[in-house]
Amino acid sequence: MNALARSNPIALRLLLVLALPSAALAADPPAGDAARGATIAATCQGCHGAHGEGVPATGGPRLAGQTAEYLGAQLHNYADGRRTNPIMSAMAKGLDAQKQADVAAFFAAQSAPYAARTVEPAPEQLARGRTLTRVGDESKQLQACANCHGPDGAGERYATPYLAGQSAAYVASAIKEWKSGARHGGEAQMRPVAQRLDDQDIAAVSAYFESLGDNAH
Amino acid sequence: MSKLSRRTFVKSLGAASLAPATLLAAPPLLAAAAGATPPTQPSAATDEKPLYLFFNADEAAFIEAACERLIPHDEVGPGALDAGVPNYLDKQLGGSWGAGERLYRSGPWQQGTPSQGYQLPFTPAELFHAALRAILAEFDGKTAFKELSAEQQDAYLKSLEAGGKDLAGVPSAAFFQMLLQMTVEGYFSDPVYGGNKNMVAWKMIGFPGAYANYYDLVDKHGIKLDREPMSIGSDRHGLVHPDPNIPASL
Amino acid sequence: MTQRLKATDVVIIGVGMVGSIVAKELAAAGYKVVGLERGQPRFTVPDFQGPAVHDELRFDIRKALMQDNTKEAVTFRNKVSETALPIRRWESFLPGTGLGGSHVHWNGQTYRFHANDFQLATKTRARYGAKFLDPDLTPQDWGVTYADLEPHYDRFEYLLGTSGKAGNIKGTIQAGGDPFESPRSRDYPTPPQKEPYHGALFRKAATDLGYHPFPQPSSNLSQPYTNPEGVKLNACVFCGFCERYACEHYAKAVPQTIILPVLLKNANFELRTGCQVQRINLDSTKKQATGVTYIDGAGNEFEQPASLVITSGFALNNVRMFLLSGIGKPYDPATGKGTVGRNYAYQTVSTVASFFDEDVNINPFMASGASGTLINDFAGDNFDHAELGFIGGAFVGAVNTNGRPIQYHPVPPGTPAWGKDWKQAVAKHYNHTVMFSIHGSSMSQRQNYLDLDPTYKDAWGQPLLRMTFDFPPNDLRMAQYVTGKAIEIGKAMGAKQVAGNPRKGPYTVTQYQTTHNTGGTIMGDDPATSVVNRYLQSWDVSNVFVIGASNFPQNASWNPTDTVGALTYWAIDALKNKYMKNPGRLVQA
Repeated sequence: MNALARSNPIALRLLLVLALPSAALAADPPAGDAARGATIAATCQGCHGAHGEGVPATGGPRLAGQTAEYLGAQLHNYADGRRTNPIMSAMAKGLDAQKQADVAAFFAAQSAPYAARTVEPAPEQLARGRTLTRVGDESKQLQACANCHGPDGAGERYATPYLAGQSAAYVASAIKEWKSGARHGGEAQMRPVAQRLDDQDIAAVSAYFESLGDNAH
Repeated sequence: MSKLSRRTFVKSLGAASLAPATLLAAPPLLAAAAGATPPTQPSAATDEKPLYLFFNADEAAFIEAACERLIPHDEVGPGALDAGVPNYLDKQLGGSWGAGERLYRSGPWQQGTPSQGYQLPFTPAELFHAALRAILAEFDGKTAFKELSAEQQDAYLKSLEAGGKDLAGVPSAAFFQMLLQMTVEGYFSDPVYGGNKNMVAWKMIGFPGAYANYYDLVDKHGIKLDREPMSIGSDRHGLVHPDPNIPASL
Repeated sequence: MTQRLKATDVVIIGVGMVGSIVAKELAAAGYKVVGLERGQPRFTVPDFQGPAVHDELRFDIRKALMQDNTKEAVTFRNKVSETALPIRRWESFLPGTGLGGSHVHWNGQTYRFHANDFQLATKTRARYGAKFLDPDLTPQDWGVTYADLEPHYDRFEYLLGTSGKAGNIKGTIQAGGDPFESPRSRDYPTPPQKEPYHGALFRKAATDLGYHPFPQPSSNLSQPYTNPEGVKLNACVFCGFCERYACEHYAKAVPQTIILPVLLKNANFELRTGCQVQRINLDSTKKQATGVTYIDGAGNEFEQPASLVITSGFALNNVRMFLLSGIGKPYDPATGKGTVGRNYAYQTVSTVASFFDEDVNINPFMASGASGTLINDFAGDNFDHAELGFIGGAFVGAVNTNGRPIQYHPVPPGTPAWGKDWKQAVAKHYNHTVMFSIHGSSMSQRQNYLDLDPTYKDAWGQPLLRMTFDFPPNDLRMAQYVTGKAIEIGKAMGAKQVAGNPRKGPYTVTQYQTTHNTGGTIMGDDPATSVVNRYLQSWDVSNVFVIGASNFPQNASWNPTDTVGALTYWAIDALKNKYMKNPGRLVQA
């Protein structure tokens, strides 16, 4: 029985009655309360900022405005080991499903200016990143990131997270986690992509997405 | 802010029916129109008229009124004028489609059977110009089509649809079918073509648009995907940059 | 002034699915191969990328990936007593063009034919008696058996990475697959795609009625895959822009994602695009081809000499190529003599729409081109026809492939075609309707055939292909019967309203049905009734092979691509191991 069922009585009842556990058809997480989440989020501020803008110095990525479903799923994945990170795994395990949903709802409701850049890319790097994200590379069998991640990293709500203005360091580390097989959740789509990106291209797309975090817009 | 209201459909090997699980939130109601308006009027939010390149003023007046009867504005959703359908028609007819793109244009010409489809020599632009010339001539000296009541307009359109009328060489049913087909296209096509303004038609039916990654959603049976639609021309901020002069050729 | 080029070993007409695979195999075997493609080169990046590719107006309505009718159309009539007129805009069927051919914009539905189909004439007579068939029908055996083709089906499916669940492995029925299928040597290369809601609803209802639902075999892959050629594909994201579109995601098996990366690296192969082949040239005996003549994109005419000619364009174009080149005797329905153009068939498609309450969200836009759920209980000869008065059958399935609104906005029967009530019905039913496909066989009959049109020409001045076709009454009776069964399934799904639309005659080119045009260069054992022998070699000109659905003597209940793929590898086997070693007739008639 997975951690979700242990901590979520509703999910447990559904699993017992219908005896059909399926990752794709798992019971709904509870609805999150952003006000309750604000209280919990105090412990997140150090790395993620008061409004989820991200803190470059700590490597904490931007969370503001990402869907509650996506943020909640990441917390769930950190809690049950599908993602691992020394800080986040411990954080997530300390939150039951309701608290996960609450803090996800809080950050989903935030809007915040973009944090400072973590990298200073060269023009060729940005150009390469722009090409990969908008067009792709046939020689590497890489389709444009935009197909799933939306126009200029805007995301496709409920399907794919936004990347515009996301910390370049974080995006690069996420791609590398898929490439190595360390990260689960989304690997059917992201692992093949990550495996076809070499270090230069990882740096290029990360830098390009971060560059879209332009507070002038 | 839009929400993902989830109505999870839980599959069961033993259950007698496939009744959906309890709603966590009701599906949102379709958007209500701004007050009661006459059927031929678009919503108050319609912008100024487009720049017509193909239709002259009289033709445009007929087309606007006719399209609005084909897809009228009402409490369920936007009409053809809300969606900018006449602008779509204008740009298509004035572009390569109107000029006969992808049409086998050699004669000789014979009427053919219904199974054999379109057998007229007219390009779409020629067909519309001829038919509109005949229609406007019919209304010359009488009340303009756009001034008629909705019922009178519908009756006239039905008389075109029924056929048997010759519009300067164009059978009226052929004109009507092309007008209806292009109206539906203008209503539901991507806004980059000048219709479906602000994706109002897609919002009405719940079609999410051109960005379409559903790998993680396809097996969440019965889910209500309550997101803003996305156009080919959407930028990162959700604004659509339409280019009504995009030709419909590869 | 025709320029004569340096001779090559093999010239291939049409670099689509068949042409790409044949070219790769022969080039790899050491032969010099020239591939002539009349369309343009194109690749996943940049040509198939989103969001531009997800444009319903451009690709569905304006048919951007299809053959351009301004240059080359087909003329059509239902019967000989009518005058054939040009199909001035494609609707009923949509021939493709360009590198990769129609395989770029197919739906990925990948079915084998049944063993019974390959000996349809013999087996039908054996089971039901010779008198059972309508006298105008002209079913024929193929000259190959399912057992002959099984290893080639297998090879083709593993090239594509097809996602599915086997129903019969070496005679052992497998739970979850199609129990009616003919035995396969192993399971599909990848597991079935995820099942969308409409498939799940269908599955439950079909099971309750005692039928045998199974997942539609899909070449829009369920998971990342590396094929035996070393080419990688991704997992499909169910974007709902499959048929008529190219895949941005490297997830649909098309020549660009399964074989072209290998072919285009082989120095033995030369691709020439924008080249419209005018005819296969024959020597003075008319029994040997000397090569082909083609006109390039700039209007220059060339003669390409070759020892071997492979005709691998779209099925209709293959037939036309034989007729324009004077290979074989054209079929004449008045006398029944001649073979080229006979046994033209199509597909008999019906639909059922099931309308649900507004709280049932079907989400038709979340789909691949082949993520349906089907039954074969009423397909082929899987059921007893003795009391029914027709042969053939149809698969029945919930196969919503898209929710693209210009074309897809189902409304119940009786809804007006426009106006307030139409719009309200569209809004009410768009996301709450399941469409079934009843995808039926198409028998050949003596009145249905292909030849050259006497009046209309293409942009190069050559006669257009003329199509004379109407549905055999047999097929309409079949459609009526199976649609009735499908309606019962719709009701068992709990729909509020179920509307059946069985195929009715006459056949019209104004409504899309399928692009499954078959026959015209049919294969067989007897040169009096077939154009090619069992190895797809012309009976008349032994250094010409034609490979495609034009080889089918009639069309079965399923989509043709998998069988075309099997025939391709079957013919390649004969070419490499028999013909190239000893050119000449492979079958003595």
